[in-house]
This record gives sequence, structure tokens and C-alpha cells, in this order.
Amino acid sequence: MAGAISFQNVGVCFRMHREKVTTLKEAVLGRFRHLRDAEVFWAARGVSFECRPGDSIGMIGHNGSGKSTLLKTAAGVLKPTEGSVRIEGRISPMIELAAGFDPELTGRDNVFLNGALMGYSRREMASKLDRIVDFSELGEFIDVPVKNYSSGMYARLGFAIAADVEPEILIVDEVLAVGDERFQAKCMDRIRDIRAGGTTIFFVSHAMEQVAALCDRVLVMHHGKLVFDGPAEEAIRRYRELQGFRPDAAPHPRSA
Amino acid sequence: MTAAVKGIAALLRFRELMFLLVARDLKVRYKRSILGMLWTLLNPLLQMLVYTLVFSRIMRIGVPQFPVFLLAGLLPWTLISVSATSSALSLLNNQGLIRKIAVPQAVYPLSIVGSKLVDLAVSLVPLAVIAAALGRPPGSAWLLLVPAVVVATCFAAGLSLLFSSLTVFFRDVRHLIDILFQIWFYVTPIIYPHEFLEKLGSPLLRSVLSLNPATPIIRWFQMVVYEGRPPDLRTAALATISAAATLVLGFAVFQRLEDEHIHYF
Ligand SMILES: Nc1ncnc2c1ncn2[C@@H]1O[C@H](COP(=O)(O)OP(=O)(O)O)[C@@H](O)[C@H]1O
Ligand SMILES: [Mg+2]
Repeated sequence: MAGAISFQNVGVCFRMHREKVTTLKEAVLGRFRHLRDAEVFWAARGVSFECRPGDSIGMIGHNGSGKSTLLKTAAGVLKPTEGSVRIEGRISPMIELAAGFDPELTGRDNVFLNGALMGYSRREMASKLDRIVDFSELGEFIDVPVKNYSSGMYARLGFAIAADVEPEILIVDEVLAVGDERFQAKCMDRIRDIRAGGTTIFFVSHAMEQVAALCDRVLVMHHGKLVFDGPAEEAIRRYRELQGFRPDAAPHPRSA
Repeated sequence: MTAAVKGIAALLRFRELMFLLVARDLKVRYKRSILGMLWTLLNPLLQMLVYTLVFSRIMRIGVPQFPVFLLAGLLPWTLISVSATSSALSLLNNQGLIRKIAVPQAVYPLSIVGSKLVDLAVSLVPLAVIAAALGRPPGSAWLLLVPAVVVATCFAAGLSLLFSSLTVFFRDVRHLIDILFQIWFYVTPIIYPHEFLEKLGSPLLRSVLSLNPATPIIRWFQMVVYEGRPPDLRTAALATISAAATLVLGFAVFQRLEDEHIHYF
């Protein structure tokens, strides 16, 4: 069914080359030894979960715990080294909002480039353009090359495009951190609307209150392992335990 | 086989992206500088002047209307060699996108081939003018340039896919590619007529050079533009086979290695 996600025993492995061999000369001289000697690093392993259409799932975990890696396998950028990922339906990945921008092109041209990167035709994007410009609040800046944008303006345009493509699955990877508070609130409202429309949401953030507000179910990642899968409150508690984080001591660390 | 079909279907789904990338490249080269389009035309014309001076005047190679003969082979050769050498860096140059957005990666080298194809189409205009001025006006045989361009483009696309992928794994491959194309240029009958190869003394050299997969493609252009006649069946068949085989090989290698690229950036 459109909107379902299924991860079965997924592992993603990066080869860490002790000596990075990047030329044919080195490879020939070393008789291709690097191909055997590469150290492997599992950024995520043994991850299994199911997600029904319309669910909104959160994912939390320390930096480097493998969240982005898993989202990238869901988005199809990375192939899992083992296990299988099944994604049903059109996916809109908000992984790095500025990734698809060409700095030399204007905001308007970038809307079409971004749309094409997501597989949308020029005509489809043309019909969305007004709404995108409107949501991003860029006004006349839409006709300025994006290399002159601030990082907040990048984020606004990127979010406006990704949010307007009527996805069946929306992936959000820590992209709301940029942009001012009012725009963040506007984005959260938009994500809630998209969720209400029946879209599956896969949400990664370090802002626990956003995760708690948006997700009924939260996955906790820890050093590449999925260590918890359940209700948001419990998940956040588990995450803080793993961080050695005591909420009652946190607000006034120096007062004692 | 099913993987190949899926790969082609995915590419077709992203054809708009490919057009956009081609348009972006052309915009940068043609629009940003008024000289942009002029450079595209000027480059083969300057080469033509130099080669004509050297081979027709100094070395007296004895080919009448040498500029027409030369351009007939040089233009498709430029499509092939410039596509392949520029594509070699296309994945590295787009690694930012490849790391974050799931798109069939073949769009990056193929869009370069597309933009060089536009260059070829543009330079056919001065070729027609020069051919007419030197007394070999374009006739109905020129219609057969259409399949010739298709064949040359497939050949260029196969090489571009192959080299763009290999360069990700071994960065020095691009230097090898530059050297390869320099040598390849001289062993392909572009600046001299192909009869010169048939008159070679050494049978070994003769049979090795007769395996050159670029020769029948270049010959097709020369027959149409310079000799003003359709290509003979053998040349057309060899050119088609050579281009199809190269494209299939390039596409197959690219598809096998595509998922590995991201680990080697
Ligand atoms: N292309 C890569 N090559 C090698 N290691 C990588 C690559 N991408 C990510 N990693 C490693 O994988 C681990 C998980 O990274 P990531 O999924 O980005 O974490 P998170 O998003 O949870 O902060 C990190 O240790 C990171 O260094
Ligand atoms: Mg991350």
C-alpha cells in the first residue's frame, strides 16, 4: 500500500580504507591489496521495523548513531549492504535541503531543477511555483541567484519545494534547525497538515519537544543499533538514559 | 536483463532532468559569454586551418578540398572525444547531489553527451557553408547524417558511461583517457584518408588498426559529407554494431558499479 515502509534486518557498511587508494597506479603497484584489506564499519546493522501508511515515526539518537544513514537508504541514495528496504509510494526526502540547488541559478530556476531531481516535470512544477514562492516568503528574491541567499533563505526555499510535492512518504532529517523561530513553527504546522492528509512521516530531530508533539512512535538509535521502538515519552527517556542525561540536573548545572 | 530494463525505465523517468542539465550547461557556455557559441564554432575551424596548412600545404597529402574532408571526420570525432573526456569527471563533479538525492546517476554523463551533441549540430552549419564554398554542396545524401549522428552519439554515450564510472574508483584514469584519445586520434583516418591504412606495409599493424571501432563511424560521415554518397552497407553495419556494443558495454558496467560509487567519493 502506498506509504508503507519496511526495514528487514538492514545493515549499511562503509569500507574505511586504511590507506586510501585512489589511483590505478597505486592499485597496480600494491597489487590491489586494498580491496582485501579495507576495514569495514557498520554505520547501522540489524535494523528492522515496519511502518504503516499514515504513521508518523520519529527517530532520535546521538550524533553518528546512524540516523541519516538509515534515512538515506529509505530515500534510495544508499543501498543496504545487507537486509532489505521496501518503500511503497512517492517519497520526498528533506535530507539536506540545499543539496539540489545550483548556486548560479535563480531561485525560480532552482525550483524546476529541484523538481526534476525528484522526478517531476516542468509542467507539474510550474503549477506549484506560486504556492512555493508564497510559502517560502522570498518575494522578489525568487529571481536572484541562490548564491546570494542566506542559509535561512536556502532552508525556506528547500522546505517549500519539498513540502509541496504531495509525497506519500515525507522524510525530514534535522532540517528545521535553520530558519528563524516563526518559520520553524510554520514548517511544523505544514508537516502536521501533510500528516493529517494521510502522508507517512519519518522525522529525525534533536528537538525532543518537536518529536514528542509530532510522533506517536519513536525509534532510538545507539551506535548503529535500533535499541528502542515504542511510544515517544518512553523513547525520549531511554535516549536520555543512554546519553547519561538527567533532566532534573540539567537546567542549572552550576547551581550545586 | 530485467535490471537493464528497470535502469532504462528509471532513466526515461528522469529525462526532464537530463534536458534541464543539458540546458544548464549550454546556458553557462553559450549565454554567459557572447563568445560562448562563437568558441564552439571557432574551435573546429581553427583546427581545420592548422591541419589544412600542415597536411595539405606542407606535407602535401593530396586530398582535394581537404578542409571538407577534415571537418567531416573531425566533427564526429570531437563529439566522441570531448564527451568521453568531460564525462570522466561528471560523477566526481556531481558527488554532492549523488550523496543526497536518489537519481539514476547515468543522467550526469549522458547530459554531457547531450550538450556536446548540440555543439555538433551547431557546427554542421559552417561545415555546410564551407562544403558548398569549396564545390561540394550538401545534397540529399546529407539526410544520412541523421542516423550517422545517432550512431556517433551512442558510441560517445557508451564511452562516457564507462569512463565516468571508472574515474570514481581510480582518479588517474582521466590522464590515461587523455592519452588514449590523443593516440586514438592519430590511428583513426581523420587527418588522412583511410586508404592510407590499407596501404600499410606491415600486415600485423594493418589488421590491428582495422579493428579500430571508431573508424566505420568516422567513415560514414566522410562518405556522406565528402564523397556525397550514402555509406556502403558494410560500413554502416560495422558502425552500428560498434556503437551498439559500446553502449551496451558502457551501460552494463555503469549499472553494475553505480551503487558502489558513493563509497569511493
Ligand atoms: N560516506 C561515509 N563513509 C564513511 N563513513 C560514513 C559515511 N557516511 C556516514 N558515515 C559514518 O556513519 C556513522 C553514522 O552517520 P550518520 O548516519 O550520519 O549519523 P547521524 O545522522 O545519526 O548523526 C558515522 O560514524 C559516520 O561517520
Ligand atoms: Mg544526521
